Amino acid sequence: MERLDRLERVTDLLLVLLDTPQPLSLREIANRIPGYPSGRDARRQAFERDKRLLRDEGVPLLVEAIGGEEQLGYRVDPGHYYLPDLGLDPEEQAALNLAVAGVHLGDPSGVDALSKLGATGESPLRPLVDTPLVDLPSVEALPALPGLFEAVRLSATATFEYRGAPRQVDPAGLRFRGGHWYLVAFDRDRAEGRTFRVDRVTSTPSVGPPGSAELPPGFDAESAFSAEPWRFGAGDVVAVDVLIDPVEAGRVVAELGSGAVTERRTSGAIVVRLSVTDMGALVTWVLGLLDHGEVLGPPEARAAVIDRLESLIGAGEGSGGAT
Amino acid sequence: MSTVARDVGTRLRRLLAILTWLAQVGETPIEEAAARFGLEPDALVAELEMAACCGLPPYTPDQLMEIVVTDTTVSAHLGEMLARPRRLSAREGFALAASGRALLAVPGSDENGALSRALAKLDRALGGKSMVIELDDPTMLGVVRSALESGNQLQIEYYSASSDEVSSRRIDPLRLFAGDGHWYVDAHCYKAGDERRFRVDRIQAAEILGGVASEPREAPEGAAYEPFVPGPDIRTVRLALDPSVAWVVESIPAVTPPEQTGDRIEVDVAVGGDAWLKRLLLRLGSAAQVVGPPEAASLLGDAAGQILDRYRRSLPG
Repeated sequence: MERLDRLERVTDLLLVLLDTPQPLSLREIANRIPGYPSGRDARRQAFERDKRLLRDEGVPLLVEAIGGEEQLGYRVDPGHYYLPDLGLDPEEQAALNLAVAGVHLGDPSGVDALSKLGATGESPLRPLVDTPLVDLPSVEALPALPGLFEAVRLSATATFEYRGAPRQVDPAGLRFRGGHWYLVAFDRDRAEGRTFRVDRVTSTPSVGPPGSAELPPGFDAESAFSAEPWRFGAGDVVAVDVLIDPVEAGRVVAELGSGAVTERRTSGAIVVRLSVTDMGALVTWVLGLLDHGEVLGPPEARAAVIDRLESLIGAGEGSGGAT
Repeated sequence: MSTVARDVGTRLRRLLAILTWLAQVGETPIEEAAARFGLEPDALVAELEMAACCGLPPYTPDQLMEIVVTDTTVSAHLGEMLARPRRLSAREGFALAASGRALLAVPGSDENGALSRALAKLDRALGGKSMVIELDDPTMLGVVRSALESGNQLQIEYYSASSDEVSSRRIDPLRLFAGDGHWYVDAHCYKAGDERRFRVDRIQAAEILGGVASEPREAPEGAAYEPFVPGPDIRTVRLALDPSVAWVVESIPAVTPPEQTGDRIEVDVAVGGDAWLKRLLLRLGSAAQVVGPPEAASLLGDAAGQILDRYRRSLPG
C-alpha cells in the first residue's frame, strides 16, 4: 500500500511510542511502522522531522540510552502525555465553563481545554447576561505569553529577546494589570528582580527543563513587581508628589491604588506620592492629565515638566505651517 | 476535499481532539462533530477514514481504531490510549487559568466559591498558581452594577476625556465589561439620544433613578470589546510620525493604512475630541506633527501653554 499521508505515519508513531514500555531504536520503529524510507540517512531524516513535530505538539517524547548498535531509544512517557484526573465536581466544572464563556482571549484554547476536561455534549457556552464580561488582550497578539506561562508553571528558566537584547531569567510569576501582561522574574545577568512587559518580548521564549529555575532565597515576586512606567529607569529613586484635580482623582486612584494617596483635600482633589526612577516617563504620564494635574515637588521634578512644556511650545510653533 | 489540508501538526492536534471527544460522546451526527472542530463534513470523514488505518502493529483489525461512519453519524470505539484526554497545551493551560482568574478578579466575586476550588485543583495538578490578574475597582462600579441588575436608569456626572468636560447625563445601562484593564458601561444616553460607552472610573457621581430602563437588555455578542467606538462627532486629523513612534499606529484608531512619506509615516487618525488629540501630541512631542487640517496644528502649543499657565500661577509646593 502506498502511503501518501504523513499524518498517518505520525499518528502510528505516536501510538507505538505510547504503547511501548521499553525505548525503541529507530530500526525497531521503522520495522513496526510502514512509511519510513529504506535508506539509512533518509530514514533518520524523516524520523527526526516526525520527532520534532510531535515535540512541537507537546508530546513528551523521551530519548534514552539503550545498548546495542544504535545506542538511542525513543518512547513517550504516558505519565506526562495524559491529563491527570483533576477531580472536578459538576459545580466546579460549570464555574470553569462560565469563566471561559465570560472572558475573551481572542482564541479558542479555553474551549479546547474544557473539552479535554470533559465538557462535552452541552449546548454552546454562553455568558450569563448578569455576569460582567472581561476582555483580556488577545493571545494571538502576545505569542510569548503561553511559553512564559509554561515556564512559570514548570519553574523552568526562560530565555527570550526583550527590547532587542537577550535575557535569561528565573520566572516568579505572571501578572495582569492596567491592560498589560507582565512577567516578574529574577534576571540572571543583572542579578536582580525585574518586571518585563510581555508585549515587548520579541522572541518565542525558550523554556528550560522543569525545575531549572532557581529564585534567590526570600525572593518576593510582589515587591519585585512594578508596572508603572516611571519605575523602569535605572536612576536613583525620587519621591515625587503630584496634585490631581477631582475630575481625574477617581481614575488615578483606580490606576495606582489608594496606597499612593498621601492627602485628600475637601475639594475632592488628591495628592499622590510616586517613586520615580525615570523622570521622562513621569513627565509623560503627568501631561496625560492635561491641566488637571500638577507636580508639586521636588523642584527638579517640577522643572522637568516645565522644560518639557517649553520645548513642546517651541515644536508646536514650528509645525504650524506644515499644510 | 473541501477543507484545505493544513500542516500536519495542526491536523494531528485536531485529530487527537476529535478522537478523544468521540470516545466520550459516543455516536454523533457528522454535521455536529464537523461544526465543533471547524471542518466541512466531508473533510471530517476523510480525516477519520485516514485515522481508521492507524493503530498498532501488526495492524490487524483488532489493533486498528474502530471508527464507524454512517450516512449521517460517526462513532469511534478506541482503546484507552486515545480515549483519555491529553495534557493541556501551554495555550490551553494559560487560557483556563487566565479565564478563571479574570472572573475571580471581578470585584465582589466569591473567593471561596466553586471557581476558586476549581482553580485550586488545576493548580495542584498542573502548577500555575503564580498568576495574578488585577482589574480596577472604581468607586462607581457597584452602583452601575446594581442599576444594570435591577434594570433601573442612572443619573451620572461624567468626565469625558475626549472633550475634557464634565456633563450630567441620564442613561439606561445596557452592559458592563472590563477591557484593557478598565471597566466600561455601554448605555443608552438620553443627552446624546444614542448608545454611548462610558469608562466607569470617569463617572464622578451616580444615582439610581426610579425609572425603569426603556431599552431591552440584550445578550452581548461574542466579539471583543474595543474601548474606542467611533461616534458621530469624529473628525479626521493627519499626523506625520517619526519611525521611532511607529508603534502608535497600532494603538490609535487609524482610519487609513499608514503611508511612508520620506523618512516619516503619515496616518489619518479618527479624533473624537480635541482633548484626546492633545494628550496624544503631548505624549509624542517632537516625534509627531499635525499635517492637517490647519486648525488642528495649534493644538499642541495651546495644550502645552494651558498646562504651563497652571505652573506659573502656583508656587512650588
